[in-house]
Order: sequence, then C-alpha cells, then structure tokens
Amino acid sequence: MSNKILDIKNLNAFYQNHQILHDVTLNFFSNKATAIMGPSGCGKTTFIRCINRMHELDPKAKVTGEIILHNQNTLDMDSILVRRKIGMVFQRANPFPTMSIYDNVLAGYKLNGIKKSRDEKDEIVQDSLEKAGLWHEVKDFLHRKGTLLSGGQQQRLCIARSLAMKTEILLLDEPTSALDPYATANIEELIEELKKDVTIIIVTHNMSQAARVTDYTAFLYEGKLIEFGETEKLFTVPKHKMTEEYLAGRFG
Amino acid sequence: MKNDIFFRKLQSSFFFLVMLVLSLMVFLPLICILYYVISRGIKAINLDFFTQIPSHVGDSGGGVLNAIMGSFYMVFLSIIIAVPWGLSAGIFLYDAPDDSRFAYLLRLSVDIIQSIPSIVIGIVAYVWFVMPMQKFSALSGSFALAIMMLPMIVRSTEETLRLIPKTLKEASLALGVPHYTTLFKIMIPSGVSGILTGGALSIGRVVGETAPLIFTAFGSPYLVHNILKPMDALPLLIYNCAMSPYESWHTLAWGASLILIFFTLCINLLIKIIVKKWEVVL
Ligand SMILES: Nc1ncnc2c1ncn2[C@@H]1O[C@H](COP(=O)(O)OP(=O)(O)O)[C@@H](O)[C@H]1O
Ligand SMILES: [Mg+2]
Repeated sequence: MSNKILDIKNLNAFYQNHQILHDVTLNFFSNKATAIMGPSGCGKTTFIRCINRMHELDPKAKVTGEIILHNQNTLDMDSILVRRKIGMVFQRANPFPTMSIYDNVLAGYKLNGIKKSRDEKDEIVQDSLEKAGLWHEVKDFLHRKGTLLSGGQQQRLCIARSLAMKTEILLLDEPTSALDPYATANIEELIEELKKDVTIIIVTHNMSQAARVTDYTAFLYEGKLIEFGETEKLFTVPKHKMTEEYLAGRFG
Repeated sequence: MKNDIFFRKLQSSFFFLVMLVLSLMVFLPLICILYYVISRGIKAINLDFFTQIPSHVGDSGGGVLNAIMGSFYMVFLSIIIAVPWGLSAGIFLYDAPDDSRFAYLLRLSVDIIQSIPSIVIGIVAYVWFVMPMQKFSALSGSFALAIMMLPMIVRSTEETLRLIPKTLKEASLALGVPHYTTLFKIMIPSGVSGILTGGALSIGRVVGETAPLIFTAFGSPYLVHNILKPMDALPLLIYNCAMSPYESWHTLAWGASLILIFFTLCINLLIKIIVKKWEVVL
C-alpha cells in the first residue's frame, strides 16, 4: 500500500447527546481517491466535516478520537491551519458572488491577508484553473463574476479556489449531485488528474462514480465503518453482507 | 338552474366592482395630497425660496434655506450616529447563537423602540440631552432622529445577512479564513444592497418627522451652522409656519411640504438605484 497521509483513530462524533459516528478508524493514502459511501443520514457529511474541523461551526457538535496528519492530531491544531491544509468542496457550488473568477481563485490569499505580487497571482490563478480543468473555458474573461458561470464550471472554480491554497487533501461532499451528467463526467475526469497533486476524499451516492474514480472505498452504515478497502475488491467481492446488499441496491 | 348561474355571475361582478372602486379609492388620498401640495407649494418655489431665510413677520417673500440646511445637517448627523450603531447591533444579532438570551432581549428592545411614538422619543432626548446641556441644539435633535432610525437599520442588517446562503460562509471558513474576516469581507459585501436599502428607508422615515425635533432642535429663523445651537428643519418650519396667522408664511409651509415630498420620492428612487446597482446575484 502507498503512503498514509491521514490516520483516523477511534473517531466519535456527537450532536449534543446524540452519537453520529461510532469509533471510526481508517487511513487515507497520499495521492489516492477514497470514496465515502453509505445510505442517507449515515454520517458521511459529518465524517468529512470533522476532517477539516467544519463540524465546529455547530456549537452543539463534539468530537473525540484522533485525526493524525503528519504526526499531528488535527483536532488539537488551530482549526484555521487545518482548513488551509485540507480544502473542501461542497454539494452546491458556492463561488463568492462579489468576486470575479480571478479573485475567487485567489480568495484564500486575499481574505487571509497574504500578499502576492501580480506575477505570482497570475501564476497561481492560471495554475489552479488549469488543474481544475477550467482555464481554457475562462481565460478570456477572468474578470467576470464567478456566479455567471454554469453549475459545473462554478464547481470547478470552487475546486480551483481550494487548490490555490496548495491544499494537501481535498474533501468533496457529493460534488456532482446538483450537476447534469455532462458536467458530472467532467468533474470525474478531473478527479483522476487531481490525484497527481492532492489526496481526494469524496462522498458520493453514485456507485458507478465511486467505481470509476476512486482507489479506495469506505462504507458507512449508521455511523459505523462497515467495510474499507480497495474499491475494486470492495465492489467485486465485498467481505461484509451489508456492503453487498447496499451495492446491490437493496437499501439506501 | 340557468337562473342560478346568472345570479352567481351577477354576484361575482358585484364583488369585483366593489373591490375595484375601493382599490381606486386608495389613489384618492395620494392624488388629493399631491394636488394640494403641488398647486399651493409651486407658488412658493423661486430662487429666493432656496437662498433666503424666512421673511420677517408679516412681510412677503423669503425662503427656507435655514430649514433645508438644518434638515440636511441633522439627517446627516443622525446617519453618522445611527449607521455604525445599528450596523454593529445588526451584525451582532446575525452572529449570535440561536439560543442567546441576550440577542433575544436585544431583538425585543429593537421592536419596542420601533413602536414608541416619535413624540416620546423627542421627550426622552429632551431629558437626556437638552436638560443636561441646558439648551436646545441640533445635536440633540440628531440623537432623537438617530434613535428613530436605529430599529430599521438593525433589523434590515440582520435580515439581509440571514438571507445570504450559509454555504457562502462555509466556503470562506473552509479556506481557513477566520470567523470575523468572513463576516466582514464575505457576508457584509454580499448583503450590501439590502443594508444600504435599510439605511435609505430609515432616512425616509425620519426626514419628515416633526415631533422628535420640537423639544430638541426647537427651530430657528436664522441660518445656523453650529450643531450645538437650535436649528430649523423642514418639518419644524412647516409646523411653525402653518400655525402662524400670516399668509406669506403659509406659502412657505406649502413650499417646504412640496420639497419634503419631492425628497421622499428621491429616496424611493435612490433605493431602486441601490438595489439595481449593488444587488449581488447569489
Ligand atoms: N447540525 C446537526 N445537528 C444535529 N444533528 C445533525 C446535524 N447534522 C447532521 N445531523 C444528524 O447526523 C446524522 C448524519 O448526518 P449526515 O452526516 O449529514 O449524513 P449523510 O451526509 O451521510 O447523509 C443524521 O441523523 C442527521 O440528522
Ligand atoms: Mg450529506
């Protein structure tokens, strides 16, 4: 197996007294894509939000366990630093409506007050948009508002915005569920490319999508990790009966 | 059977007619007011009207420059007081946790201030500012107006921010942007048109108010530039001149009314422009 980048040990998540995740333990590997699957409400979103500490936005949320990134428990780190290393792309594309495409890509720098020269900025923008597969579509009108793009383009802009921060890990929460099949295919192709630069963790309901683009799959059910392994093996010879039934479409 | 349908049709035309007539009657007060104010006020409008102060008792001519300037000073000052104050409170309310008791009390207080009659606010400003300073002043008038503007600014700020999708806030936080930077650089710029509209509406609300100024700015027949002195304002001038027995002052009052109406129209127009120019497509 390849290099571990993120090591999750005994992760428990609660909303007030209601336990959502139960003792989840698994690893993510560098430059691989891992799918998080499971029926609605099983805790997929909660799980990936814990990884970049977005769960903290809800004051009722509580987490125990360890999430180790480079020998450091992210749960003890400054949440702002964690979020700069671990980017997130949401179900609905959310470019900043007051900003141009150009400024959207640079938003992480601008908002955090990190100064860059004009050349550096141009380079970051081009590089990030190229990695997000959007450069050729938008290079002639970088100063138009990001919200004028189509849904799929907006989602790739959001990916570029995350990549611009040189994130090591990219969390994607059902990034294609609001997109048409063509835009979905675009994003799927993109994920294959992105693996060169980042580690991908993607929540998806779409089994064929998981099978097409991911190397590993984790199957969650009612907040418990039922099965984790290489996507190909998990899809062809699932070890667990529950996984088999889910893959056969018998629930979820 | 046929009769029955005929009767029902008659009935519905009758109701339609009643509603039409009553709706048309909504225009009636507006048309009457505009007709009165324009036909009488237009006579007062000339160059003197904008460049002179009121004539001496009984003399004809004169203008309302003192009141125009006074209204301008006081509204401007009340904006300076109320906007940072109301904006902060509105942002605070938006940012407060859902179960915050303090926020609950604050919202309640804002609603109560909104429903306090303006004359009472004038009396309170009198007790707070005029009595300790021992004189009437434009500043105390501006405070009274600022208190009247406050609820609208607070509420419109909070509500505008609430309408902005939470996903935008999350996008910023997920980039490692701190909470308050997100609030000030993402959320507020995204809501700028709503916040500005609230501000403009609140100006419209106070510019025509007489009651809060009677005990505070008091009024003055002279052109005053010192905010610590009594000062005139358009609604005060209308009130004082209309109460006087002199025909020439009545004319000034009509002219001043016309300007006030024109000004409120301008504010409505301004709001339309703000919404068009600053609206953020989410
Ligand atoms: N902010 C919250 N407060 C309380 N309960 C929540 C909150 N967010 C999610 N939950 C609950 O946590 C469980 C898992 O939700 P979620 O992680 O969104 O599932 P998934 O993404 O797999 O559909 C659900 O039962 C949901 O009701
Ligand atoms: Mg979810």
